[in-house]
Order: sequence, then C-alpha cells, then structure tokens
Amino acid sequence: MSSPIAAALRALAVTLALLVAGQASAHEGHDHGAPPPPVSKTIAPRGEAVSEAFELVAVPRDGTLQLYLDRFRTGEPVTGATVEVDTPDGPKTAQATAERSYTLPAPWLSKPGHHDLLVTVTAGDVVDVMPVSLDLPAPAAAVAAPAPVGAVQTVSDSVRAAVPEITHGLRERLAKQDPVLLTVAAGSFLLGILLMLVARGRRRVPVIAVLAITATVLLSATAFAHGDEDHGAEQKPIQGAALIERAPGGVAPTDLAQRLADGSVFVPKPTQRLLELRTAMTEAGTFSRTIGLPGRVIPNPNASGVVQSSVGGRLSPPASGLFPRLGTPVKKGDVLAYVTPPVARVDVSDMRQRQGELDQQIAIVQRRVERFSKLATSGAVAQVQLDEAQDELKGLRDRRTALDRIRSEPEPLIAPVDGVVAEASATAGQMANAGQMIFQIVDPKNLWVEALSFDALTAGQHATARLPDGRTFELTYQGSGLADRNQAIPVQFAIEGDASGLRVGQFLTVLAITDGQLSGLALPRAAVVRTSNGQDVVYEHTTAERYEARQVRIEPLDGNRVLIGGGIGPGKRVVVQGAELLDQVR
Amino acid sequence: MIPFRAALFSSLVLLAAPVCAHETAGKYGGRVTDAGSYHVELVTKGQTVDVYLLDGSEKPVPAAGFKATAILVIDGKPARVALAPADANRLTGQAQVPLNAAPKGAVQLTAPDGATASGKFN
Repeated sequence: MSSPIAAALRALAVTLALLVAGQASAHEGHDHGAPPPPVSKTIAPRGEAVSEAFELVAVPRDGTLQLYLDRFRTGEPVTGATVEVDTPDGPKTAQATAERSYTLPAPWLSKPGHHDLLVTVTAGDVVDVMPVSLDLPAPAAAVAAPAPVGAVQTVSDSVRAAVPEITHGLRERLAKQDPVLLTVAAGSFLLGILLMLVARGRRRVPVIAVLAITATVLLSATAFAHGDEDHGAEQKPIQGAALIERAPGGVAPTDLAQRLADGSVFVPKPTQRLLELRTAMTEAGTFSRTIGLPGRVIPNPNASGVVQSSVGGRLSPPASGLFPRLGTPVKKGDVLAYVTPPVARVDVSDMRQRQGELDQQIAIVQRRVERFSKLATSGAVAQVQLDEAQDELKGLRDRRTALDRIRSEPEPLIAPVDGVVAEASATAGQMANAGQMIFQIVDPKNLWVEALSFDALTAGQHATARLPDGRTFELTYQGSGLADRNQAIPVQFAIEGDASGLRVGQFLTVLAITDGQLSGLALPRAAVVRTSNGQDVVYEHTTAERYEARQVRIEPLDGNRVLIGGGIGPGKRVVVQGAELLDQVR
Repeated sequence: MIPFRAALFSSLVLLAAPVCAHETAGKYGGRVTDAGSYHVELVTKGQTVDVYLLDGSEKPVPAAGFKATAILVIDGKPARVALAPADANRLTGQAQVPLNAAPKGAVQLTAPDGATASGKFN
C-alpha cells in the first residue's frame, strides 16, 4: 500500500535536490564576495571590477566591448584615461567615445563562455590593474543538447523553464482569445479526465496522477513556447526606452534601468551618465547642533541711507533733468533732486515790504557814505563816522542779497551714502512734506539679516542663511537686542561674501550653531529622498550598477547638510546628486 | 536509492562553498590571492616574477600546460610580464625593470583547456 506513495516522495526529493544543485552550479564557485548576478532577463551579461580608485563595467555589445570607467568614491566618469585590455589576441587599447566611455572591437567575444580580461587603467598618475570576468550565455540553440540525466530532472527542468513562459504569454493569449490556447486547454482537460478514469480502474492513483499532471504541463509548455516567437516579433517599444539607445540591427534594448525584485535599483552605466549620478563616502563625525530662525534681509544700517526733505516744497529733478530711478547706482554727495519751498502770498508782500525798506535804507546810507567820504578828507567828519557808515551799508546790502537768494534758491537733496536707489517716490512738480522720505539708498553688497531668536545667541557664533530656493550664505553675528520683539530677541547678522540677488525684506531661514554637539554622518540635503510613504531614504551605491535604498533618520544640521542619525554606517557610497531621479526608477 | 543519496550529497557539497580570505601570506614568502578556482601566490624578487599555482585547499597544482600574464604597477607605470611554466607548480618570467617587494597588479592564468582566471593583488 505504502510503496507508491514512498516512490512519489522519493521522486520529489530527488527533484528538489537536483534543483538546488543546479542553482549552486550556476553560481560559478569560488568567487565569494562577488555581487549576486542580475536576476532580470532584460539585463545583458556584463562584468565589473572595483579598486580603490576606479569602478569598471564591461559590457559586450554588437561585437565590441564597452568599458565604463568611473571614480570609485564619486561615481564621476573618468575621461582621458588610457585603458588597455588584455584580450586573447593580445593587449589592445580601447578608444574613448563621446559618451564618456571606452570601446574596443572584440570579435573574440562571439564565443560563449567565461572570459577573463585584465584591464590596465592609467588616469593621470593613478595606475590600476583590474581583472574583469565576463560570462556570456550560449545562444538558445546551443542549450538544446540535454545531459543524460534522470527523467525526473528533465521533467522538473522543463516545468521550471515553462512556468515563466506560461505566465508571460497567457495574459496576452487570453486577451486575444487564441484558438490554439483554447484547443490546448480543452485537450488537456479531456486528457486529464481520461487518465483519471483509467487510473480509477487500476487503483494506482499516485503514479498515474503524477503522470497526468506532467503530460498536461508538458503539452501546455510546448504550445506556449511555440507561441512565444510571434509574441516577441510584435513587441511594442518599451516605455522608458528613451533612457537607453536602441542597439542597431533590430536587437531589443537589453539594459533598462529598473527596480529589481529585491528592491534594489539597477541603473546601467549609460543611464548613470545621463542622470549625472554622483556619490560620496559617508564619514562619521561630530557636528554642532543648529537651530533654524526666521529671518529677513535688512540693509546694513551703516551702508544705507534715506533722503528726506527738510522743508516742504515742490520737487524738481537735478541738473541732468532726470530723477534717479529704482536701481540707479548713486555716489555719496550726488544731488538726487531739488525741493523748492513755496512762498506764501503774505510772505511775498512781507518780503516786498522788507525789500523796499532795505532799498530805502541802502539809498540813504549810500548817500551818507558818499558825503562822509568827501568831508573826511578835510577833517570835518571823523574817520570813525565814515567807517561806521560804510559798515552799515555793507550789512544792509548783505541782508538784501540774502533776501533775494531765499526767494530763488531751492534745497538740494543729496545722497548720504554710496549705493543703489532702493525706493524712489519722486515725481516732477510733486509737493513734498517736510521730513518725507524721497529716496532710500541701499548698498546691495552690504546687507544684513535680522532674525528672531528665542534663545540668546552668543557673540562669535557661526550661522548660515538659507533661501527658499536653496541658496545659502555665511553670516557673521553682529549683535542682538535686549528688548523683546514678538516675545523673541532680534539678532542681527552681516552677510559674508557675495550677497547679489538678495532683496531687502526677503525672508530666509537662519541656521545658527548652538553649543550642543551631535555625532553622526553628515550628508548633503539632496542625498535624502522622501518616499511616497513619507519615509526618508538615501541610496547606497552597492555595486557598480546597483543602488539600494536605505531608510534613515535625519536631523537638520545646517543650510545644505543633514545629519544621518541612523540607518546607514560610515564608509558607504551614498548618492548625493541625482537621488530624486534614481527614486523615479520603477 | 543511489541517485537520491548522490544528489543529496552533491547538493550539500555545492552549497558549502569554500570560504577563505582574499589576500594572505603564502608559504613561498609571497602573497596569495584567488584566481577563479585556483589560488595563486605571487613572489617578486629583483626582476624575477614567480607565480605558484595552488588549488582551493592550498595544494600545489602542476603548472605544466598553463600560461600566465602578470601586469604589475611599478613606479606608476604598468609592466607586463609573460610567465611560462618552470618546475612543479611554478610559473616564472622576467620583468624589464626591477620590482619592489609587493607591487600592485594582477595575474591572469590560462589553463591547458583554454579556461582563464585572474587574480588581483593590491
């Protein structure tokens, strides 16, 4: 009774053992530490090698060998290097291409099997010898000769080969309502029922059942394997194929950036170059904690000024005939406008009266001076009297001149500092009030930042400012107020270096360093990607063409760096440029 | 029963891949590294480059029929040395320039059946 079941179990055990053995032998023994081979069918065979300085990927393509050479730490393509390959035909030098790679005609690569290449790279003063292994699979026809193994393994192999084919073609065939598919399905079903009927008669259920299933699967497999050919012919261009150039000669594109089943992202070297992916080594360090403060750009109080009219009056342009407009550079002492104070009617009559009086007095004193000067020679009048009369005349004339000048001369408005006109409200003929600001002058190279802090910052602290667009500026502490404003302390910083592009009143975030110390890995802000589930990840460059997402915990550090608190260790290559693009790969 | 046991045994052997260090000191005074299924020991003295051929368990492998090429970096320049079988498991060749004790480079082996393997020395 139990012998048929035992036989079936034994067959199953042998099948499993051979399956495991087959996988183990496919992984050519002894290259321990090597990356697992790509599991996707759409990836061409390739070899890679790394050294301290370089990372090399060799891809055979259309009878040539494409070599992609990058810096190990940064992922930057190495151009202008001498790349010499030890081929079976002797040493050959690869030619640089426009795609920042190297190419070498390789007719010897037409032979399938294992190829070992020694690549000697000379880039500047760095020389490296890198062994590259290439395992080229045999063309489909060459696989057909099966080894003389037990029938069970043949079955298991064909089942293993057939399953992906079935799942691949089934959906399309169902969609097309293929008559072949329907016929095969019906035939298999009928065959199964027939066999079951026979088996019932003979009472050898397990063995016959296994036979029936095997026959059904084999029949279906052959049918689908046949159908797969025309499936390939009418294959539509794959979405995203624009990333990779289609190989000439009608060969389907083989290297597509893709997310592999284990969650890692495969990005072939040409795509890495297109996306300009760059990496950096993580290094542990101790950093000071920073706090973010809301701030706004203010003009430097010592390098800006306002132009106000001291008297009310009518504005008129300076000698050039034009008022300085917004953005006009001005120099200290430049006349920006004139204010002509208006003279009221009462004042006019008053002045006329005063003018008449003065004229009258001048005429009287004038005659007295003339008379005294004649008499003084004869000694009839004292010299003192003559002098007094002359002084009186001079004083009267001065008063008369001043009266004239007041009536005709307007007040010039003068730029108090060098800079650029930041605000202008002057129009010809406009009446300006006394004390009204007509112009504001700001030195755009000399701007400050005022931030509101809840902690008192100490002098000499380092701070950076970050704009919403990501630009950062170094700041120098200038001072903080003692009077609270909105329950916070106003703190002023000077912007170091080039402050061009900033506007007065612009909002920014000030990141000031506090005394607290943090340890971890500092990475550029661009290295961290927020995934759709809200988690922060960085992409680690694990092998030459593979990137793996690592969930990390981040803390703000400063304007353009974040601190990785956990999730990745030091000494890893992390993508710092193009991580967002890498995250889009599906 | 025999295929069952044999298959089980072979799968166990294949799964238990040998694990060993990448570059170690060898018994001929050189450095040992992996080259495919072999281990190779590189010994440089003066202008002579000797490569000793060992299997995975450090047993000598007869060098007859093997060919090898060593590319070694000397003073920032790559030097190519062709190696020919000498005695027992040794392949030897002469470099154009004197070598230092532990040059960086790689050795490529070609077995009598045409299979190739290469090992890297840092």
